[in-house]
Amino acid sequence: MTRLTMYSDHTPLKNAAEGSKKRRNNSLKPAAQPHSNDYTEHYVHTCLPPQKFVKNSENQVEGYPNLQKLFRLKEKHVARHATKPYGCRVNIDEMCSTLNGWIYKHKLVFDVVMIGCLTDNQFIYPLLTSLPIDKLISKPGFLFIWGSAQKINELTKLLQNDGWAKKFRKSEELVFIPVDKSSPFYPGLDNNDEALFEKMQWHCWMCITGTVRRATDGHLIHCNVDTDLNIESENLQNSAIPAHLYKIAENFSTATRRLHIIPARTGTETPVRVRPGWVIMSPDVILNNFDSAKYQEEISKLGTHLPTRSEIEVLRPKSPTQKKAT
Amino acid sequence: MINCELVKYLVENHNDLLAPPISGRVEDIGIMFATRNDAMSLDNESAESTGQAGQAGQKADEFWNDLMNIEAISPGCLSFANSADLSRQHATIDYVDVETLEIMHNCVVPGSFQRHSTRIEQNSSKPGNSANSSSWSCRLHSILESHAADTPNQQTLDRLNQALSLKPASYLLGRERARKFTRHASFIPICGNKNHCSVLSSIAAISSNKVVAMDMNKVHAAEQDCPGLLKCAQSKIHYISNLKPQTDASLGDCSYLDTCHKLNSCRYVHYLQYLPESLAQATAINVAQTNEASASKRHMCLYTQGLNCSVASAPTLPAQWIQCDVRKFDFNILGKFSVVVADPAWNIRMNLPYGTCNDSELTDLPLDLLQQEGILFLWVTGRAIEVGKSSLQKWGYHVCNEISWIKTNQLGRTIVTGRTGHWLNHSKEHLLVGVKGSPRWLNRQSDVDLIVSASRETSRKPDELYGMIERLVGPHARKLEVFGRDHNTRPGWFTIGNQLNGDRICEIDVKMKYNTYLQKQRSQSVPRYSTLA
Repeated sequence: MTRLTMYSDHTPLKNAAEGSKKRRNNSLKPAAQPHSNDYTEHYVHTCLPPQKFVKNSENQVEGYPNLQKLFRLKEKHVARHATKPYGCRVNIDEMCSTLNGWIYKHKLVFDVVMIGCLTDNQFIYPLLTSLPIDKLISKPGFLFIWGSAQKINELTKLLQNDGWAKKFRKSEELVFIPVDKSSPFYPGLDNNDEALFEKMQWHCWMCITGTVRRATDGHLIHCNVDTDLNIESENLQNSAIPAHLYKIAENFSTATRRLHIIPARTGTETPVRVRPGWVIMSPDVILNNFDSAKYQEEISKLGTHLPTRSEIEVLRPKSPTQKKAT
Repeated sequence: MINCELVKYLVENHNDLLAPPISGRVEDIGIMFATRNDAMSLDNESAESTGQAGQAGQKADEFWNDLMNIEAISPGCLSFANSADLSRQHATIDYVDVETLEIMHNCVVPGSFQRHSTRIEQNSSKPGNSANSSSWSCRLHSILESHAADTPNQQTLDRLNQALSLKPASYLLGRERARKFTRHASFIPICGNKNHCSVLSSIAAISSNKVVAMDMNKVHAAEQDCPGLLKCAQSKIHYISNLKPQTDASLGDCSYLDTCHKLNSCRYVHYLQYLPESLAQATAINVAQTNEASASKRHMCLYTQGLNCSVASAPTLPAQWIQCDVRKFDFNILGKFSVVVADPAWNIRMNLPYGTCNDSELTDLPLDLLQQEGILFLWVTGRAIEVGKSSLQKWGYHVCNEISWIKTNQLGRTIVTGRTGHWLNHSKEHLLVGVKGSPRWLNRQSDVDLIVSASRETSRKPDELYGMIERLVGPHARKLEVFGRDHNTRPGWFTIGNQLNGDRICEIDVKMKYNTYLQKQRSQSVPRYSTLA
């Protein structure tokens, strides 16, 4: 490979003199050889990170009109069947007791639980180990845990713990990438002296509890709509959590009971915004309006899952139907 | 030379100096400092005052230089409000790091600020103390005058952030060296303007799936509706839609694009890359010149931390490889390596077009024999992420990075279609980076933990990784790739795997050990078969 490039470097030099004559005649003559850029090498020389050159960061499904339509339909469908936005402002050390109250006193369960956001100072492991998280999540249910690559790596301990591993199956690992080092989502503090490569990513565990089958449980989950990677787009609203992280969960599960727990102080500069269809628990959430009785009433009117919509069923990617065994 | 008197003065009077009416103006502080010295010398009180202090008035220049000296000794100990243009006339100090200055003074005059903390306690326990009342009012003033962003907390946070983001010299030198040692490659930007692409598509002449001509006159004509088109066409890559009779543009792009096998029947849109030959040539010449110029500079590398001492002149070893079944191979033959890369065929319970290995076959590999200290790169996918992490632990490594390879298609977009994962589509692959021991010879953080690169044949990984590794360990470190194929062999690397062609070994000790191993195997296998027979 290296030898090849060495030769190709020299050939243009030889042809340069002949080429300059022709060029004047038609400077738009197409090149015979295709070109590809090395963005890793480009970063070393220019400090422009490689993700800046990904062409569909602004619109992931650019070029795919059917997928674009699917995303629009799903967004509308989710919005039409969403509870009003709820915030629950709780200090980190009171989260456990509050959640225990919800579980045992109010008999609340959620189908989608997201834990964590894009900050370094999170208390994810302590929260997960001190909480009967399996009682908070229905079966089947979905758990998304966001944090720095380092924090998520620490969760590997949970999988080695039998109790946890029996209840939850880690099914995907998601990644969120800030667009560059000046992004509010640049994980600067994750870069200790030990890191061999500058860290530019956030990780997420997507776990499933209970049983769902992607071929037959289309009323519960829509698979292969989103991807396991998201690159920050430039037009983001200033927030502790990019809206896309919510959308992945909303697009995947058809459930309407969604809870987001943020076990971290996020400060005033990156506010924790509320979102229709979600209960957001954080010490810094901007609204504090949660009332479990009112929430349960709203859910009972709304139903726990979105109704099936034929337009979406037509468009969403599905497993190939199995041929009947003869 | 550090002006101890000034340090002491700043420590003792920082409250008054930062508060109104002085408000931290450097000019006024200079005058205050000078007059204070006058008073001291007149009263003949100062026993420890140096000759400097005895001078009648200190020049502003000297005072400024002293301040700069103090700031240079410990960056951040004095913070200036208008640091953007540090003109002496208007400079104001908005923060004095008393503790740092005390430490600084203690270094010169040991013990001078020992009782500081107890003094504060005494003071705060007697709020009625008249000497303190002025500083209390100052404090009240400063709280009233400041807004939220200037509160001491915010300042402390900023300073901590500044300290944390300060990169050590090794990092800066390492980055610089990586820049000098890495060969430039042609870089041609890709145009993101849809209008440009569609206009050029209508002009381009396409024959047998190639752009064969681009009419200059038509581009000139189109320039009126689309200003800047010609210049863009001459300086960037454009993707021209390759419309065929069967193409239905309303369907959108083909998921496979240039790798589509049904180009003659697929109804989705495909694209052809267009760049002018002149652009490709000009870029190549430019790059060749830059590389030639930097090659001469490489001979004078002064920052050789972690490198071979004759790094510029020593030749790299040619590519070496051994075809073998990795699961049964004796790793002792190979010796020790600085870097090992492994891309095992994990069994992720999918039907893959190649044979896979069991978890135990992989985790039982004696990879712990290959390195005393060094780095192991392990490609993992799906559930193998966790298996890989625990194997790394077992082999004596600890995961210090996870690299993501963002797979792109012909158009430089991430891959979002095709049910590439079980629950969600997969647009990236994971590469675990494990470190063993505490290698101090590494050139850390000259790259980011991301690779953006087009996907190629099944399971073929991006070549960008080789450059990243070379910057990390230097060109002469021993590097091994396990489960490699022919396209993985390259100078400086040792490759083993069952899909390679034969073997080539240049290192004499490895060759000898390998030959003995082969002889032994032959001699062992002969009696075994004979007894069986």
